[in-house]
Amino acid sequence: MSESPSSSPALPRATGPGGVRPRRPGRIVIWLGAVVLLAVAALVAAAVIPGSHHPVGDDAVAQRAVAAPTPSRDGPVRVKKVFDSSISAKRYGTQVAQMENGYNASGPVSDLSPLPVSAFDRPVAVYRRYAERWAARLGHDVVPLTVALRAGNRGLARRDWATAFSDYLHLGAVYGLLPSDLNNDLAGMPGEIGDPHFIGLHRIEMGLWTNQPVTSLAPLGAKLSSAVQRLRAELPSTAVDPRSSRVRLARGLVAVTVDPLDFTLRIHEILEDAQRDFMSGLDVPWSGAGVLATAAGVAATKELLSTVKPIMAGRGDAYGTSEYWLHRLGRVFDSIRRRDGGYPSLHQLTPDQLELIDGTLAGTLTALEQVPGTLETKTFTTFPKIPQGEATTK
Amino acid sequence: MSPVDRRRFLKGSLATLGAGGAGAAVALGSNASAHASAASPDLSTESLRVDQRELMVRYPFDGEHQAGILTPRQLQAAMVSLDSIAQTPTQLFLGLQQLSVRIRQLTQGTSVGVEEIDDPPPDSGILGPYDAPDSLTVTLAFGATLFDHRYGLASKKPRHLTAMRAFPLDRLDPSRTGGDLLVQVCAGQRDTVVHTVRELMRVMAGTFTPRWSLDGFQAAQRNANPHASTRNLFAFRDGTANPDVTDDALMRQLVWADADEPAFASGGTYMVVRAIRQHVEFWDRVGMLEQEQMIGRYRVSGAPLGGTTEFENPDYPEDPEGKRIPLNAHIRLANPRTAQTAEQRILRRPYNYNRGFDEAGDQDQGMLFVAFNQDPKRQFEQIQLRLESEPMTDYITPVGGGYFFAPRGAASPADWVGSGLARA
Repeated sequence: MSESPSSSPALPRATGPGGVRPRRPGRIVIWLGAVVLLAVAALVAAAVIPGSHHPVGDDAVAQRAVAAPTPSRDGPVRVKKVFDSSISAKRYGTQVAQMENGYNASGPVSDLSPLPVSAFDRPVAVYRRYAERWAARLGHDVVPLTVALRAGNRGLARRDWATAFSDYLHLGAVYGLLPSDLNNDLAGMPGEIGDPHFIGLHRIEMGLWTNQPVTSLAPLGAKLSSAVQRLRAELPSTAVDPRSSRVRLARGLVAVTVDPLDFTLRIHEILEDAQRDFMSGLDVPWSGAGVLATAAGVAATKELLSTVKPIMAGRGDAYGTSEYWLHRLGRVFDSIRRRDGGYPSLHQLTPDQLELIDGTLAGTLTALEQVPGTLETKTFTTFPKIPQGEATTK
Repeated sequence: MSPVDRRRFLKGSLATLGAGGAGAAVALGSNASAHASAASPDLSTESLRVDQRELMVRYPFDGEHQAGILTPRQLQAAMVSLDSIAQTPTQLFLGLQQLSVRIRQLTQGTSVGVEEIDDPPPDSGILGPYDAPDSLTVTLAFGATLFDHRYGLASKKPRHLTAMRAFPLDRLDPSRTGGDLLVQVCAGQRDTVVHTVRELMRVMAGTFTPRWSLDGFQAAQRNANPHASTRNLFAFRDGTANPDVTDDALMRQLVWADADEPAFASGGTYMVVRAIRQHVEFWDRVGMLEQEQMIGRYRVSGAPLGGTTEFENPDYPEDPEGKRIPLNAHIRLANPRTAQTAEQRILRRPYNYNRGFDEAGDQDQGMLFVAFNQDPKRQFEQIQLRLESEPMTDYITPVGGGYFFAPRGAASPADWVGSGLARA
């Protein structure tokens, strides 16, 4: 699929298709300051130590560290000095040792002032309502599936299964919060062959795509229905605690909470999981419905990102970059969707389509990684020191 | 070089090797390098040339314990798991015997030898006319399945040997798990490892058939301090807290099979092998602070958080609430450094692996986890159960491996690894 950048809603200035990987705003400036302070030694670190995260200047610096001062067409040339320094290349290992051993900085702190935890009240509430809507839709769509299973109509059942599965995955950020037994009853994967707890959407998937008699799956359809009812009953109990501003999902004595960090991490974790479990085919081994599943993850991620849009305002370009990539990724799935609204299975994809999904997904994830740092609620100072004199060396 | 010259060269080198062993081989090596530098003394040639002294490093094959266990980790490795298709115990024992004979040659350095011109050469020859030892070790270990009904070996089975347990977060692929015989090949150079596997497969043909394999590599030691631990693919130093292999008493306590084992087991050790996928793209999206808190160490120095140097004691009693090193940090769960967990420690000997890209375009990289211990239930499994609750589980997926038992070494050139299986 070719797409002109102008078709995107929020193309960030610094980043275009195939453009430079976005960085946290302000990081480079601070980093440069730190590098200057640490003088020559830190310059070595930035170039040769993996621990110097967010390397400044990226390729330019890295190449200078290894390349000859004057380019040669005749092949490699021995580097006499560690780049831009008076350090002899012969002392490389010693310098590395000096830089590594005892170098315990973790990088400068963010230049963004931390958000109050309460800033997440509204995003969480908005997302909860979204999840409730999709749970309701799942409750609606699971009915025809159970009917098709009872009727023994494999074609219909497969189609209705795909709809229900997609509904479930639209919940996105919620599924990690559900009690594990409910998660399992809805869409658990088998622990081992003959696992008696293997009953949810994936169990029905296995039956529908492995030629098990369709009517034999009807009891599983009924179990799925009751699990969905339980989901719908429990979701509204997700309440925002006004004092702690934490989502609380009460279930008996067990209270599952999510803190803002988890909430913001899910913005990229949903698609990471989709990539790992669905685009690989691992979690959809029978139907191959990896594209459908990933498309649902894109929708959930778009919704999740939109909930934090107000609190990302004025905090750099992470929102714009993420929105651009999610839009572009959404267009990829639109281009692949069949006329009947369904998606081809993984093995029906052409190599070009697969590359387009994989590549755009990777680009999107790289953009989304900037979001959690933008929404930080704490200022990190430093780790407490191990009391001196107590510690022993090996 | 004309064919005649080559033959003379070969003959000459065979003679000197027979007489002088490694010393003569060094002479051969420097001879070869002199040729190379005369022809093209530029940097590209120089940088491609292997240090001849390194190629001549040799670990004994015969001994109380097999090599490749306490041996310092070589840079390159291959783990090959095979199933036995021997029809009778005798076929199995013969196969193992031949395997030891060939391993002894390859690990100690051997000339390629010549056959009649119309016969296939006895050695693939990819290392040249002389197979330099290159720190090569080949360690053999048996899976629990070898002791099933087929060969009447049930009474020989080491007490703690079972199939590898599937932990809750494992996603084991049966085609990458288990096996009757594990062959661990480690050496300094990649081509030495590849050559060794190729030659050993010739010996094993018809007796053992491959089940799965995984290639490993270790990070180069870029730090001038030889004690600094090298980094794994999450960029953290790995192996810092490994027990001291020069401490015999400690090794008897943690590594070598207990006295209450069947006679076959004495001098041996349990080998836990795990192919642990590391989702490196996921990891690279994690903030530095979170990375360090997940591990419990600084990424650059490897010092425990709040400390200064790699081998500093993390001093957990001083930090009971995990304010400095979180209670679920990897180092804290893996080795809590308490009196109760001291006997759970394991000897780790891991490698990194890289299998290209997966179906979704992510890099298929990870850790070829290798641990030696006296009792996997008492040691490895206790550690692994604690680690099921570490936050790092989101970034790793165990996909294969197995439990094996590496028996004692061959006592002499007349003996072979596993000969205890054939004794009454």
